[in-house]
Amino acid sequence: MKKLILILISALFLSASPAGKERSIYRTILNAIFPDKAVIHVWLDNPKKRAIFEKIRRVKVVKDHKRADILILYNSFDVPADNKIIFADGYLVFEHFKNRLVGGFYWQKGRPNLVFIKKNLKDHNISLPPTLKEYIEDDM
Amino acid sequence: MKSISRIYFFLIASIVASVIYLYYGVTTTNVKLIKNLEEIFVVQAGNFAENIEEELKKHAAPDKRLYDVLKENAAVRNELEHTLSALVTPSFKYVYVLYRDDKGKYRYLLDGSKEDKGSFDQKLDVDKQKWNRCYETKRDQVLMQNNLEGLWITYLKPVVRNNSVEGVIAIDFSTRLPSTIAQATRPLENIFIYIFAAIGILLLILLYQTVLSIKTKKESIIDPLTSTYNRNFLRSFLKSINPARYQIMMLDIDHFKKINDNFGHKAGDLVLREVATAIKNELREKDRIIRFGGEEFLIFLYKQKKECLAAQKISKRLKESIEKRIFMYENTPIHITVSIGITSNPEHFKSVPDAIKRADEMLYIAKREGRNKIIFDNPNQEAPVSEKKTISEVKEAIEEDRVICHYQPIVDLKTEQVVKYEALVRMIDKDRKTLLPYLFLESIAYTNIYTDLTKRILTIVFNQIKLHRLPISINLNISDILDNKIFTIIVDEIEDNIQLAKWLVIELLENEHISNIENMRERLLKLKSYGVKIAIDDFGSGFSNFSIFQDLPIDILKIDGSLIKDLDSSKIAYSITESITHFAKKLEIESVAEFIHSEEILRIVKDIGIEEGQGFYLGKPSDSIKSEKRSLKQASEISA
Repeated sequence: MKKLILILISALFLSASPAGKERSIYRTILNAIFPDKAVIHVWLDNPKKRAIFEKIRRVKVVKDHKRADILILYNSFDVPADNKIIFADGYLVFEHFKNRLVGGFYWQKGRPNLVFIKKNLKDHNISLPPTLKEYIEDDM
Repeated sequence: MKSISRIYFFLIASIVASVIYLYYGVTTTNVKLIKNLEEIFVVQAGNFAENIEEELKKHAAPDKRLYDVLKENAAVRNELEHTLSALVTPSFKYVYVLYRDDKGKYRYLLDGSKEDKGSFDQKLDVDKQKWNRCYETKRDQVLMQNNLEGLWITYLKPVVRNNSVEGVIAIDFSTRLPSTIAQATRPLENIFIYIFAAIGILLLILLYQTVLSIKTKKESIIDPLTSTYNRNFLRSFLKSINPARYQIMMLDIDHFKKINDNFGHKAGDLVLREVATAIKNELREKDRIIRFGGEEFLIFLYKQKKECLAAQKISKRLKESIEKRIFMYENTPIHITVSIGITSNPEHFKSVPDAIKRADEMLYIAKREGRNKIIFDNPNQEAPVSEKKTISEVKEAIEEDRVICHYQPIVDLKTEQVVKYEALVRMIDKDRKTLLPYLFLESIAYTNIYTDLTKRILTIVFNQIKLHRLPISINLNISDILDNKIFTIIVDEIEDNIQLAKWLVIELLENEHISNIENMRERLLKLKSYGVKIAIDDFGSGFSNFSIFQDLPIDILKIDGSLIKDLDSSKIAYSITESITHFAKKLEIESVAEFIHSEEILRIVKDIGIEEGQGFYLGKPSDSIKSEKRSLKQASEISA
């Protein structure tokens, strides 16, 4: 079963359009981080990505980051010092915030890449399902 | 015309096939071009990868793992990455080296890429299954990247040291070249798409025109009122028809003019439509119905075998169904009947139009005999059409005195003496064979030859009367009396033999409706003024109508043979005959029983009180008359 789900996730990474792939990946990520939340409030710094998130079930995109459950950063290098869950949407932001964010998703060499940071997940008491375990990095 | 259509079809098919072949050629060339390019790039990438591998091996001591060497020495890393970056071109988009860690993840050792550059030990999510093959086989791999944006092919070369894979050199080709090729050939493909579209439109126009042409052709051969075929169709149908496969039926609606006159043309149109529908319902798929004239339909009945009863069955069914049907026009019921003439074997005629003409003649006979009848050209198949005589043959026979009379005795049933004779016309053919009337009368109906024949018969009969001084009857149709020309000849002949006229009996065939009763009466009275006696023949069948005795001066009533022959077996026949006899007695009209064929019938006829009789039992027709009066016994002996 685990293998099958892994194949399915791999298939998600490899098939469909980039936007479609991103939506599927973010759906998997958000459902994994917030398995029990009825509505996941997401704050984005990239308005172009709004359409991707608005089509994900249970997700509500908010304008005020204080109301957000998770901040998804693409080009912000300065964020409030509160304890919000941060997720990177690009490699540069990922590199910049890798001590604080729970993970990142970015495209490299035409391939979608997903990384979760073990320590930061633990800080936010986030336990990922087994299917995403292989994307967890111990030490960055 | 058909061959031109075939040439057009062949030309269009050739053009379409050529264009498809060219299109196939272009697309195949395109694919081959990309394939060749792919091979060139793969070979080139393989060479580059080999050089990279050599460079890596040069910089790494054989006793140390490649990972350890590169981790410990950033300067070596930079130098090698600089070397790799020299290979990066717009076509070779990414050149990098990954290794597989203990957890099976792939991470960077080196990255010579100018964009999307990964750092040492950074993870890169790749298609592990395919990349693992490098580790398993230690051989180069070529991966087609159908699902990765902007990538075409990835060339992988394992870095093998000490018989173990320490990394994988990867070169990603961009889609720039294949898309450039595709772009280059696209105008050519577009040309073909336009050609296909043009051919498609052309075919659609052709299809539309064909449909239009079929529709127009169909409209030109279909009668708009009845939706049956018209004469245009008949013309082309006659060209292709095999007459042996059909029987021809000519159908006419009886008294159609009266429907138009009484109810209007709309009612007439309704009846025509309904009758056409009724006919179509009775026909089979291979039968053809044509509106031949105003209320006349020509029907070709397909026959499977040479001898076929289709016409008999279908015509009977058709006649009965139309007769039973009530045509409603503005809540007024209209009853109609039809008359049908049939040519059973059209292949016996010189041409199909001749066979149609014969069916038309049969239709006229059906009409003349009272309508609502079916008349076959060869009833009971008793004589093939080929045996029937043509007009010229009958004309020749009259001229050569080969038209004669046979005489059947009529016996006084009380005295049992022969008191009269009935003259029956016969024709002797060139082989001296005696022919019955149905073999030569039909062909001369409504012609001058028929008039000549009537004159000839009257001459023969008057000669016999002159010789034997006995009453002799001749048969005439009611229409003969009403026909001015024939009536004049009859009168002329009588006047030429005025002294003998009292022995002439004219038997009128009681088989048709009298259209002009007043004229008929006048003419019969004129004949009677010469002493001629008038008999009504075949009374009791067909159009038998007792009122005829009120309108016409009838002296003798001849009871139809169909009643007499069944007297011993049918109570109805007996009662009708008894009634007719009683009626005749009341009017003081002589009664004659026809068709007495047995002693038993003779006995019954006598019991009923019929005065005179004739039939094979009393005497068969013979070619001469004995002058002395003969007894019943003598007559039958002579006949035998």
